[in-house]
Amino acid sequence: MAMSSSIFRTNFLPLQQSQDERPKCRFNGVAVAQLEPENARKTMVKQSQQTRQLKRFLNFSGEKPSTPLLDTINHPIHMKNLSIEELGKLADELREEVVYTVSNTGGHLSSNLGVAELTVALHHVFDTPVDKILWDVGHQSYPHKILTGRRSRMHSIRQTCGLAGFPKREESIHDAFGAGHSSTSISAGLGMAVGRDLLGKNNHVIAVIGDGAMTAGMAYEALNNAGYLDTNLIIILNDNKQVSLPTATVDGPAPPVGALSKALTKLHSNKEFRQLREAAKGITKQIGGQTHEIAAKFDSCMRGVVGGSGASLFEELGVYYIGPVDGHDVEDLVYVMNEIKSMPAPGPVLIHVITEKGKGYAPAEVAPDKMHGVVKFDPKSGKQMKSKSPTRSYTQYFAESLIAEAQEDDKIVGIHAAMGGGTGLNLFQKQFPDRCFDVGIAEQHAVTFAAGLASEGLKPFCAIYSSFLQRGFDQVAHDVDLQKLPVRFAIDRAGLVGADGPTHCGAFDTTFMACLPNMVVMAPSNETELMHMVATAAAIDDRPSCFRYPRGNGIGSILPPNNKGTPLEIGKGRVLREGSGRVAILGYGTIVQSCMKAAEQLQMHDISTTVADARFCKPIDGDLLKQLAQEHEILITVEEGSIGGFSTHVSHFLCLNGLLDGKLKWRPMVLPDRYIDHGSQSDQIEEAGLSSKHIAATVLSLLGLTRGSKCII
Amino acid sequence: MRCSYGLTAIPGTDARFFSPETSFFQLRRTFQPTRIKFGSFKIKAKIDEARKEMSFYELLGISETGTSLEIKQAYKQLARKYHPDVSPPDRVEEYTARFIRVQEAYETLSDPRTRALYDKDLALGIHLAFSARRRYQNDEDLEDRSEWKNRWQSQLSELKRRSMNRDAGGNMSWGARMRRQREELSKEL
Repeated sequence: MAMSSSIFRTNFLPLQQSQDERPKCRFNGVAVAQLEPENARKTMVKQSQQTRQLKRFLNFSGEKPSTPLLDTINHPIHMKNLSIEELGKLADELREEVVYTVSNTGGHLSSNLGVAELTVALHHVFDTPVDKILWDVGHQSYPHKILTGRRSRMHSIRQTCGLAGFPKREESIHDAFGAGHSSTSISAGLGMAVGRDLLGKNNHVIAVIGDGAMTAGMAYEALNNAGYLDTNLIIILNDNKQVSLPTATVDGPAPPVGALSKALTKLHSNKEFRQLREAAKGITKQIGGQTHEIAAKFDSCMRGVVGGSGASLFEELGVYYIGPVDGHDVEDLVYVMNEIKSMPAPGPVLIHVITEKGKGYAPAEVAPDKMHGVVKFDPKSGKQMKSKSPTRSYTQYFAESLIAEAQEDDKIVGIHAAMGGGTGLNLFQKQFPDRCFDVGIAEQHAVTFAAGLASEGLKPFCAIYSSFLQRGFDQVAHDVDLQKLPVRFAIDRAGLVGADGPTHCGAFDTTFMACLPNMVVMAPSNETELMHMVATAAAIDDRPSCFRYPRGNGIGSILPPNNKGTPLEIGKGRVLREGSGRVAILGYGTIVQSCMKAAEQLQMHDISTTVADARFCKPIDGDLLKQLAQEHEILITVEEGSIGGFSTHVSHFLCLNGLLDGKLKWRPMVLPDRYIDHGSQSDQIEEAGLSSKHIAATVLSLLGLTRGSKCII
Repeated sequence: MRCSYGLTAIPGTDARFFSPETSFFQLRRTFQPTRIKFGSFKIKAKIDEARKEMSFYELLGISETGTSLEIKQAYKQLARKYHPDVSPPDRVEEYTARFIRVQEAYETLSDPRTRALYDKDLALGIHLAFSARRRYQNDEDLEDRSEWKNRWQSQLSELKRRSMNRDAGGNMSWGARMRRQREELSKEL
């Protein structure tokens, strides 16, 4: 018997307590050979469920973990018969599976570890796909995907043609609503609840939202509406005290942004109250008797006061508050959820669940950035295998040039929406802590806040991802552009972004920025140009301006000294390669590099090409366009953006100036009119038809050399 | 990466990631009270206690199978003896240290849950100060969690009560109207 139990233990770490405190595993009707024999467990002491659940030693050795319980689950219905201890064990197995998978593919790690127990409890109590579970943002949905029949495909997560890294309705019926941007779950959930009521259906709707996502206004709009409508809706506030992403500053998580987190923290515990209680208890224990009774009354009065006031934020909105509940205690979670499930008319309910980001995997728990988003890593140590690149990312170049500008001009301030690490403003914040503002996940507020700063004479640089800026478009149009306030927008992650997929794709920013009358719109073709454009934007003080740059690393161009750029002449592009033939390619943004490569490929076919970098979409370089149109027969404009952007502005200019009335053949190359799925950036560019080969092939086909174009591709 | 598990308690790590034996050796060699929550005085007191190697039972002067009444009586006796206010002036510090230890012993042993855990640790031969210290940290969290549990249990019962009366005539919210409609429909069927 001892032998078989030791065989069972080979997967666990060698260091263990001799008296293993694993709970008994009772499988109802499921015979699993690896179960520990009964008599080996006689010496175990059953620990009360109040101490935290983590009793197993988890296998993070890098080999495929042995997951006997998880192997039996292919659909949430398989979880219905599990006992509480088995559910706890299942959560631990999920952790092992998540660490094993993400260590091989990269992706989001610690958010998924934090919700293992919550996911297990949700699927045990509720019945997807009839019940709807909505995951806000969705980067914590890996355990959900594993439990809903996608475990076998988890190795392909975030890869081309693999599972999406976020919930996706087309992928599975268990994914009730797609996500990627934050704070949408309560709104969507309310919509689903109201739809259910109107159709007379009887299912449950559960929205899981984090404390960071709760800082967005949309969540409050939804809560307010939910309270007013009084429809049955369960909202789970997953609070891990990471209101700002742990990548917010260079040194780790920023202290929570705003008054909201203070309110939430009050709900956790009231240390003063407890200390008071302790003191009172201590005194009365020694004296005893009547004082104890009085102290006890004091206790219950205080409890009412303290417990009640903290929850008033949600109660005022009409949402019933329950909590805090320990998010790593499956028994508590299941109990609370079952109770609410059994009530006929609870109305909108908010369950405040406290979890820890990265729970159960020590390297994630101790890392300053909590291993929020990782590349491939070694599971034993948690060390990430970051590939070394000769150049740095555009984000870093942007941050450095902004710092260089800010050193000379103390009116420059930086604003971001809870993306300090992602936008590079964490570096800016380290240099100028008083001039960097993190407003939380609130892009709309960030834009108008910047407008307010600009109206006072400051020079705000708003660094927001292209797809997130979509949320603040009205503020850009109405507050910034209409009033011609000089706010500078640094639009990161423009174009295709790779593994994050269409939710994060920055396809539309040129379109919606360039249509605004007062906006200066520019795009650098390499990191040196980026630094010059930061300087240009800093110099433009009478109107708003923006510049876009992609996800990725620089090409290795020579940087200006001290990272300080020089302002460019506004509305002037440049010719990079003079050709002697009939063909001209005009690129906008970093895709100019692909245009140069296409020109080299065409050279091998003896076709001499002129390549130009437009630099500015607005005001467009009319002289350059006239020159290219008049001196060439074929003009290709290329951009990594949707229709309605740079190419559209070129077409307008050419038409209105009569340049299309002659022999010119003009063709635009833009992102296709469909969403490009997640994958590697190079795969996505191929799929979109914007690689250098595609550009060259387009030229060849226009020249009538179709056989040649087939050779190229 | 910081991989120092053990007594230098990194928030979030817990008993799983070290064995008691290795932590015991750590304690002996380099005890650094990094989490000084209750004042270094108490830590020093624990070290003293550790050196004397007295179990809580020996401290209170009762057998390990003592009933809770015996524990209470022993505590009251010793508390009265060692309380700072009544101790002889030349031995205040020593008596106060003892008093705190006695109080700690009583707190652990009077609660059947913590007593069970302590007994288990004793049986395994884990060093006293280590276990006492761990109990302090766990205790705080346990207290938090039990407080939370009481709170949400009362919230749940309140919600249940409200839920029963929610759709009564007066409530004209949209949700209540829809729920009433749905009930009437299901009654008809």
